[in-house]
Amino acid sequence: MTSLPDIRLETENLVLRLPQAQDFDAYCTFALDPVRAAGFGVEKDRPQAWRWFASNLGHWVLHGYGYFTMEWKATGAPCGITGICNPEGWPEPEIGWVVYEAFEGRGIAHEGASRARRWAYEELGFTTLTSNIVPGNTRSVALAERLGAWFERRYDNVQMGEEMLYRHPGPTDLRDARP
Amino acid sequence: MTTVPVTIPRLETEDLILRGYCEQDFEAIAAFGASERSQFVGGPMTRWDCWRAFLAGIGHWILRGYGMWMIEHRHTGAVAGRVGMIYNDGWDEPELGWHIYDGFEGRGLAYQACIAARTHAARHMSLDGVISYVSDKNERSLRLARRLNCTHERDAMLLGQPCQVWRHPKEGIA
Repeated sequence: MTSLPDIRLETENLVLRLPQAQDFDAYCTFALDPVRAAGFGVEKDRPQAWRWFASNLGHWVLHGYGYFTMEWKATGAPCGITGICNPEGWPEPEIGWVVYEAFEGRGIAHEGASRARRWAYEELGFTTLTSNIVPGNTRSVALAERLGAWFERRYDNVQMGEEMLYRHPGPTDLRDARP
Repeated sequence: MTTVPVTIPRLETEDLILRGYCEQDFEAIAAFGASERSQFVGGPMTRWDCWRAFLAGIGHWILRGYGMWMIEHRHTGAVAGRVGMIYNDGWDEPELGWHIYDGFEGRGLAYQACIAARTHAARHMSLDGVISYVSDKNERSLRLARRLNCTHERDAMLLGQPCQVWRHPKEGIA
């Protein structure tokens, strides 16, 4: 039996939910932008972007997790993606984030990625998570560090080439750090 | 955790079972994608691209409500290929596509799989009289298209590659 998990997570400003077909255009605009998508994976055209979008849903089916669509709660508009991904050939599952251009500067990546990470620890039972960051992506490094992650090592990624692996605090560290 | 079912119907023929996907299918998909056999369907491709294609094949069912099945050889349980309806972004309209893996050619299995998929799609998915994109260099697939009573409709481009559009007969006319 093939099935998709039925998940909806909320934060102050965001809804994290499974992607739907109508979210594709916003993702596609991002994925075709050679500058903004450089750290995530630039797609060469719309059909290739669609393949990634479809493959993310397949990832949800096979693993029970994947990238959420982040929805801006006030308007319902897709404002980015965040979630847990475990691609073939990757060193281990990672947490990733992307914020679309019109939604920059609102703290969305931090708010969404924190919620997705908590979900992965509390609901999926992950005990550790990584983020793989392309050297030079200083904004993602800054966010990883704001999320409490630290640089662990450099390695050669099957898709992206050389990447920096950041290690996130585990569930116990996060619990202990709460006020 | 609650879940939402994704319906991939199970179809049976004399020698084959057409079914949904499981993680173990990936190695057969990767072997096909790495081989020259995939040259007419975008290959040969890297293991990474095969993984993406594998997951996208599952996601296709969610986005479109139909897609490609895995073909399982009933008597051995081996995975023999994939068949079904493809409507990726960039396609003019939904097509019936087939990938037949090494060792399963020349036994009429592709024909059996195509008939089962085509009939089901016409009766239950409102996809009747569909097309198949076939490379003019793919002799085996051209022969199969003729055997399936398709007619050559026009030449076209698909993802930058020249190919032929073959039109299937409508259900009841075949």
